[in-house]
Amino acid sequence: MADDSPASHRRDPIKSSVGNVAAQRRRQNAVTVGKERRESLVRAKRLCRVGPSGDGDVPGEENDMVTDEEGFLLDAQTSSAVEDLKSAIAYQGKGAMQKRVNALRELRRLLSKSEFPPVEAALKAGAIPLLVQCLSFGSPDEQLLEAAWCLTNIAAGKPEETKALLPALPLLIAHLGEKSSLPVAEQCAWALGNVAGEGEELRNVLLSQGALPPLARMMLPNKGSTVRTAAWALSNLIKGPDPKAATELIKVDGLLDAILRHLRKSDEELATEVAWVVVYLSALSNFATSVLVKSDAILLVVERLATSNSLQLLIPVLRSLGNLVAGDSHTTSTVLIPGHEITDGVIKVLVKCLKSDHRVLKKEASWVLSNIAAGSIEHKQLIYSSEAVPLLLRLLSTAPFDIRKEVAYVLGNLCVTPTGGDGKPNLIEEHLVSIVQRGCLSGFIDLVRSADIEAARLGLQFMELVLRGMPNGDGPKLVEQEDGIDAMEIYQFHENEDLRNMANGLVDKYFGENYGIDE
Amino acid sequence: MAMVVDYKHDSSFPYWTSIRRRFAPDSPFFSSGNIERELLAKQVALDFTEDERNQLEKMIDTDARGVFCPIVGCGARLTLLEDFEDHYNTRHTASCSVCSRVYPTSRLLSIHVSEAHDSFFQAKVARGYAMYECLVEGCDLKFKNYKGRQQHLVDKHKFPTSFEFFKKAHPSKKQRLKNQRKRAVNKKDEEVSSKMEVENEMVEGLVSAVSKLSTSDSSPSTVSFGRRNARGLTFVPRSVQPPLQKK
Repeated sequence: MADDSPASHRRDPIKSSVGNVAAQRRRQNAVTVGKERRESLVRAKRLCRVGPSGDGDVPGEENDMVTDEEGFLLDAQTSSAVEDLKSAIAYQGKGAMQKRVNALRELRRLLSKSEFPPVEAALKAGAIPLLVQCLSFGSPDEQLLEAAWCLTNIAAGKPEETKALLPALPLLIAHLGEKSSLPVAEQCAWALGNVAGEGEELRNVLLSQGALPPLARMMLPNKGSTVRTAAWALSNLIKGPDPKAATELIKVDGLLDAILRHLRKSDEELATEVAWVVVYLSALSNFATSVLVKSDAILLVVERLATSNSLQLLIPVLRSLGNLVAGDSHTTSTVLIPGHEITDGVIKVLVKCLKSDHRVLKKEASWVLSNIAAGSIEHKQLIYSSEAVPLLLRLLSTAPFDIRKEVAYVLGNLCVTPTGGDGKPNLIEEHLVSIVQRGCLSGFIDLVRSADIEAARLGLQFMELVLRGMPNGDGPKLVEQEDGIDAMEIYQFHENEDLRNMANGLVDKYFGENYGIDE
Repeated sequence: MAMVVDYKHDSSFPYWTSIRRRFAPDSPFFSSGNIERELLAKQVALDFTEDERNQLEKMIDTDARGVFCPIVGCGARLTLLEDFEDHYNTRHTASCSVCSRVYPTSRLLSIHVSEAHDSFFQAKVARGYAMYECLVEGCDLKFKNYKGRQQHLVDKHKFPTSFEFFKKAHPSKKQRLKNQRKRAVNKKDEEVSSKMEVENEMVEGLVSAVSKLSTSDSSPSTVSFGRRNARGLTFVPRSVQPPLQKK
């Protein structure tokens, strides 16, 4: 209300200074929130803002940058909601159940609002013991659902906040049982997924409390969001580093079947989560890997790679293939036999990944190819004559560093015979000459110039192949033309003795005193 | 690191061997894919701006540990692997204008120039002065001969015995091309000078010449045509050419 009295004039300067302070705090807050936001985006935990079956409130505010004032308000509301819950639980009279559900719902809404729910305030006000009470056996579904939802979002925060769920774990696990209603089971799985995503310690607690079998069983049905959430939670649960859980999982009755079924038929969203389970199974457990290799898994994974365009699905499916190839020599020796249809299919989808725009796909596809190229001579010939080589040569000169490194592995592996037995591996002259003639040497010499020890080592090793293996003694000349000698000179004063000796050794051997003196 | 190196060959070079490489699920090799997974999952709910996406990808690219320049004595911190080449080109390519050898620091270059191209340096050595500086900055010890300095580097500073400050055998590409051209015109003498060592006869001649010159007490004890900030030369003997201007 406008007021011309001197009092209102005197008030104005105070208002503006408050405004400045608030703006400053907002800016500072934005920086911290920005940092936190980045971290939260990359964490393996997922906030639940919409109900499991799609119902529930739509998150109102997309503006997630909460100012200090708004933050204080939210915290205050949360504390009071917890108080309400406390009295609702204590209340024994008529309509007690509805009262409890309403209080839970109110708390759940506050915890679902922004990307940074007022978890600290909720914990301080004593939410956990109350929520545990609400999970007791025989409670109505709505109550269980809301309580589990609150716990889900509390667990999505900082490590100490997730740990606060410890008292609730046995009950959450219990409600995964086959007698629970699906939405309840799913919400409990989600909460447990967040707990498992926190770290090894909590994973071990969950495993020792028997979380694995019921979650595994939740993957057996053909479809439904419950299956998807359970698969996601399982991928967090088995991610190790201890391989025990992965081995235990593949042994669950009907699970391998379910995995194959989902990979074959399910929609992309569900197949994505199942593929991540396969990623961890194949990366951690040799037993699981051999089981998968003997099954149809590779075929199904190749099929998905060929038909899908969803990056979300392609990443875990490609990685599964990579892990199965890397983890078990049987894959290349007994399944991916050169000349068989499945092998052609694998090369084809890897080429598709090399052609994609996505960095992760190009890098990991190169990695898979490098492992196949580490197989038999027939494998090397197969890759050498495929569409992959021209693509790889181009990537070697144009792609970002991490991709170039993997590409280098493929190309180098194509040029040497399989390792096995004693004596140095022989060169495959035809392959070496061809790719050098197509201009790959400068790419390798670039790797020598990088600060990455592994890459520099690769570059020097390839240079050795060229120096030794190019016919007519052309090697040294070619290396010199590409400024290879300059590159090796970097290592004269390099900290790494291994690289220093390698570079000096090559220079001594191939560019000695008599180099350049024509006959 | 996943790469296993086979050292069973009797030769000292670790040859390229093709082997399967396997990575643990939490290996840094997989981190960009893992981050992509979480970003994609949350993108549905959160709607990133183009800017935010780029910032996040940059975060993925940069190795959190950072990389340090591996050239001895440098230690500069590089945020991206790609920075190394730039850093190296600006900070570590000091090249000798006489013989085109490249050194990673101006100090090492200047030591090289004194030791390899400065007749006065050799003259003083011949007269018994300790002229060979320790290569480690801050050590300040000097030695009467190359071997003595080398031994000091190995004994005191743990340099490997294979380390050679002055490597005779690899004239640079520029020099070799120059040599080839000159040889084509059949001047055998040039081959000798391409060896880049100061000949003994020249030194002897200089020593006697120097002893005939009168030097005041204020002349600097070390005279060189390096890139060090000289305190000035009190004389320039006619028999030694000043170095060419560095490009």
